[in-house]
Amino acid sequence: MMDQIEEKVLPAPGAIEVPSVLEDLWAHFKNGALVENPLLRLMIGLCSALAVSIKAENTIFMGIAASFVLVASSFLISSLRKLISDEIRIPIFIVIIASFVTIVDLLMKAYFLSVYNRLGVWIPLIVVNCIILGRAEAFASRRGVLVSTVDAIGMGVGYTWVLLLMGIIRETLGTGKLIVFNKTLINLTSVIDPPRFFITFPGAFLVFGFLIAFLDLVHKKEGT
Amino acid sequence: MEDAQRLFLIFIGAMLVWNMVLIRFFALCSFVGVSQRMETSIGMSLAVIFVTVMATALSWLLWKFLLTPLGIGEFLYIPSFILVIAALVQFEEMLIKKTSPLFYRAVGIYLPLITTNCAVLAIAIEGVKPGFMKLNIVYNFSFIEAVIFAFGASLGYGLAMVMFSAIRERLETAPIPAVLKGYPLIFITASLMSLGFVGFGGLFGL
Repeated sequence: MMDQIEEKVLPAPGAIEVPSVLEDLWAHFKNGALVENPLLRLMIGLCSALAVSIKAENTIFMGIAASFVLVASSFLISSLRKLISDEIRIPIFIVIIASFVTIVDLLMKAYFLSVYNRLGVWIPLIVVNCIILGRAEAFASRRGVLVSTVDAIGMGVGYTWVLLLMGIIRETLGTGKLIVFNKTLINLTSVIDPPRFFITFPGAFLVFGFLIAFLDLVHKKEGT
Repeated sequence: MEDAQRLFLIFIGAMLVWNMVLIRFFALCSFVGVSQRMETSIGMSLAVIFVTVMATALSWLLWKFLLTPLGIGEFLYIPSFILVIAALVQFEEMLIKKTSPLFYRAVGIYLPLITTNCAVLAIAIEGVKPGFMKLNIVYNFSFIEAVIFAFGASLGYGLAMVMFSAIRERLETAPIPAVLKGYPLIFITASLMSLGFVGFGGLFGL
């Protein structure tokens, strides 16, 4: 299915119909964000998702940081794909990804030190996030610049929304409050006695297990 | 005496109290991906222990004698550590292939996967670069401590892998609600195992 989409984009010498190109890009975007969601369907990049979702605010920063690295490295790798020889492609990908991670690492340390301290080792660990190397290997090193970038944006959005959902569920249930950027969005402390289980380590596994089961069920009901 | 006690605490802390997989969520991709069979998870664990200890030792030397004196550690620690791991994996693949074909047949196919196994890089970074490790007894590892830490942490990874694959082999024949089949049940099982490991918290005051 993916190949068909690509073929439609490529053999268009000048007379490209704009709507069809946009439609294809939209299909790639949707593929990353929903159909092949990295966390829910491909089961990659899980480590950071479970660890940082203890607080909804963390997930926003983590999602943006990882998406930035993903999009930037996909863009660079797809534009350099003809220059990179096949035998040493993995080390080159890793160096490119590591450079962008270093940028994020230093930027976050400079401007968001408290968030950086909370995320800890997970920011440098973006470099081994399977989503990024996986997309570089499977997609960006083979396809055009525009398609790869859109695909990376889709994957980034797909990663971020699941992360945010996990963060919201865990923080709201675990502490009874949802605080994002010093604003209390939800306050349930008067209604329930918050079970702290949800912000502990086992809670993360449990929430994620039931989340994928639930979304799978919704998916099957819709029939698509 | 003091020293031996400290090393023991680091070892136990890294292996059980702060278990790599079940408490700190490192290396979940391989935890979910290659734990269907007992043999494969033993092979993977051995490969990870081997690479992790070597990578941490080399990264420590690199940090101490190259990056810190030149004052570039802050900027280059991510690329240099990951390249150490990538080179080491490649080197070990060749080495094992030449010296012990039997071990290669057991472990060889997992070696390429280890480059992107986040436990290896995490242990290397935490054991080498000051400021990341959250274990409250240590801030700055010496060489021996870093190696012991790496060994304990990767052994903890192996322990979790082997236990989990044993449970998974049983679960295949167990009656399970259709909704939870596959991945959801894997995470629920991991949750219960993690609950067990939380029990180690506070052991020896760690």
